[in-house]
Amino acid sequence: MRPAVLDRLPETARVYLDVREDLRAGREPFARIMAAVDALSPDGVLVLRAPFEPVPLYRVLARRGFAHWTESSDAEDWRVWFYRESAEAHSAPALASRATAVDSAGTDAPAGDSTVRLDVRGLEPPLPMVRVLEAVEALGPGQRLEVLHHRRPVFLYPQLEERGCRHVTDESEPGLVRIAIWRGGPAA
Amino acid sequence: MIPLSVHAGRAPSVTLPLAYLATAATAFVLAALTLPGLGATLAGHYYHPRLLALTHVVALGWITLAIMGASYQLIPVVIERPLFSERLARWQLPGLVAGILGMVSHFWMGRWDGLAWAAALVGAGVIAHVINLALSVRGLARWSFTARGIALALGGLALTVAFGVTLALTHGSRVFPGGPLGAVHAHFHLALLGWIAPMILAVGARVYPMFLLAPEPAGWGATIQLGGLGLGVPAVAAGLALGRPALVLPGAVAVALALGIHAWWVTGFAWRRKRPTLDWGLRFVLTGTACLVPAGTLGLTLALGVGSGPRVSLAYAVLALGGWVSLTIVGMMLKIVPFLVWYRAYAPRAGRERVPTLAQLSWPAGERLAYGLLTAGTLALAATVAAGKPAAIAVTGAIVGVGALVFAAALGRTLLHLRPCAAGRHAPALPARP
Repeated sequence: MRPAVLDRLPETARVYLDVREDLRAGREPFARIMAAVDALSPDGVLVLRAPFEPVPLYRVLARRGFAHWTESSDAEDWRVWFYRESAEAHSAPALASRATAVDSAGTDAPAGDSTVRLDVRGLEPPLPMVRVLEAVEALGPGQRLEVLHHRRPVFLYPQLEERGCRHVTDESEPGLVRIAIWRGGPAA
Repeated sequence: MIPLSVHAGRAPSVTLPLAYLATAATAFVLAALTLPGLGATLAGHYYHPRLLALTHVVALGWITLAIMGASYQLIPVVIERPLFSERLARWQLPGLVAGILGMVSHFWMGRWDGLAWAAALVGAGVIAHVINLALSVRGLARWSFTARGIALALGGLALTVAFGVTLALTHGSRVFPGGPLGAVHAHFHLALLGWIAPMILAVGARVYPMFLLAPEPAGWGATIQLGGLGLGVPAVAAGLALGRPALVLPGAVAVALALGIHAWWVTGFAWRRKRPTLDWGLRFVLTGTACLVPAGTLGLTLALGVGSGPRVSLAYAVLALGGWVSLTIVGMMLKIVPFLVWYRAYAPRAGRERVPTLAQLSWPAGERLAYGLLTAGTLALAATVAAGKPAAIAVTGAIVGVGALVFAAALGRTLLHLRPCAAGRHAPALPARP
């Protein structure tokens, strides 16, 4: 039974990480997973997608205080939610305040619980672009995508605009670029 | 205050770098195919019209055009802003090609009457490139190691061309106190260490970690690399041109220190990489960097006066231009060209349907064969040139020639993915995502 804490957590607290392509290509995704775990906010949840059930990872992350909830749509598509048992004690997610800051900069980006986060750091080009464009195509009405990247993706921006997306780039931390992406509206 | 920016959606051109890279690869193949027929010439002295022609096909046609093409793709990525004028870059290519062809044909025939005009045409193209990139980086808010290295390389390129045009006009006589040979040595080292080296160091520091999935470098190494080249190259070039060995040795040591730190960085990227397996492009790059060790050792030997003469000098040139620089560029092209092709052919479809990966655009078997032939062939060529055996040089040159052809075939297979785009049709659909 799905833990109630996961339903209560806002979308902004979720970080999605898809390692299926890494594993198919023979790449070891452990470093990416641990980097995503390290970057989680105190109330953050890692939603890991893998082509098999990553049983060894359960014990590794349990030692770091993470519980897990696993679901599978088919034999090669597993989704594991890693969350801290104490997650519901936390409130006011960091991203919510950052989304407010984005809005105050004069854009009309949708913010709040409609944000989907995607971490593409540690992926070799052009996988970050593929992941982002897949996520953009899956965006629902009013949803916003927040991408965590190592650098400004200069080749991505035209692809976003060709798909009717607007975007804002935030470089407030060294080595970390956040790109907010949403559909529709006039150019900012 | 959170720095925010909204980007205009203009992607760096794909066809512009591809035009330069395809021309450069053609020059590489031509130069490599010439090697078997130059066995006897390469066993002699390097100050020979045919070897001057070969060196300029390699340095200008292959290396310079490849760096320019890669710059038009990579510089917008590494400095995170668009090129000042893609149109100018397009127009300068035919002029550069005409100038290089003119220079090489005059060298080949041993006629100097039209050399200066051809060199001036190359000079005009280079000036256009330098202005274009200078205006692209103008007003840059953050002068990273990469941006400073590119600026240093552009200065080196301008000096190299000015020196070369002066040589073409005067043939080195009564202008350079070091004599014509000293002037040729200075020109060669300005090109190798003043133009090519800072570009490889600067772009590599940003791009190698990107491909190897390694942490980006930081700390004092950047200062030593830029300082070593910034101080060492003028000392080496001036010492050679003026015939002052006292300037050459400290300059060479400073340059060796800079290149040593670069090699140390690259070793660190490879050691700390998160990428478990190396593709052939990365193997080329790492092998090219490894060639810095024998090339640098021979260079220091020449600077110290321990080694001298055409045998050591030619082996040094083969290891530096053919080993370090050419293998590095081959590796970079095997990374850059598939990305450009992928971006043009498949990026518009990404996310909407399943698109191929970069690995699926490549030809690993061909790349592996090219790696074996080019690395073994280049090292063997350096050894046979050092020995001065014409027949052996012809054989090792033929190995390099076949390797260059296989490399070009690997690039050609990747470029075939552009055909459906050019015809306005969709590329063949891949199996749907499960």
